[in-house]
Amino acid sequence: MSDIERHLSADENELWAEGLLPAARAIHLAQCATCLATAERERSFFLKLAQLERLAPAADFADKVMGEVKIAVPKV
Amino acid sequence: MRRYERPVFSLLYRMVRDRALAEDLAQETFIKVLNGIASYRAEYKFSSWIFKVANNAAIDYLRKRTVDTLSLDGAPDATTSDARSRTALQLGDPRESPLQEVEARELGGAIEQAIGRLRPEYRACILLRHVEGYAYEDIASMLGLPLGTVKTYIHRARNELRGYLGERRA
Repeated sequence: MSDIERHLSADENELWAEGLLPAARAIHLAQCATCLATAERERSFFLKLAQLERLAPAADFADKVMGEVKIAVPKV
Repeated sequence: MRRYERPVFSLLYRMVRDRALAEDLAQETFIKVLNGIASYRAEYKFSSWIFKVANNAAIDYLRKRTVDTLSLDGAPDATTSDARSRTALQLGDPRESPLQEVEARELGGAIEQAIGRLRPEYRACILLRHVEGYAYEDIASMLGLPLGTVKTYIHRARNELRGYLGERRA
């Protein structure tokens, strides 16, 4: 079976979701509704991970850190 | 520092799953990095250096205290259902403190809970790859792991996450 005919493996679905799938395999994807549906689920999963919120520490976090940092004073 | 405050804190919070502890580890990270800025080597990405220090702090903590991924299922050494129940983190517990309520809300989503069930090494890899968007090579450098190991960890972590999320839907 050629690259264009063979269904995508789980690894290849991950590659496609990351934009790394070789062109010959991408042709199969464009023609196969089953593989496309699976690959779209994979991409949606990656998107959900990428959209996880960047959580913030307490407002005084930077002040606390800077209170502990010893700034070296250049010798003149 | 502002640029890295949220990413570093988020990574640590998701690693240790305790807001106060994550703040302590994030402070420790920034103090160590800023006090050691003279030893920074320009050929190394600054962001990689910070995440490396942060990850080391989290992994050191988790190794000392084996009670973590346990957060949802109880300690790994708990052999009875009673012991597992006693050591499991009760997300959404009605008796929890206001801080715990914040934490349950922040890390209470299905994906967050699934991430919390991963072993720490997998968790660090998947967060650095998919949340922070680092290349496999950068993650290998940050975590001091071979490139192949990083790829394997990420692949396994994704499979485990799909499994956990599938369990919830079933």
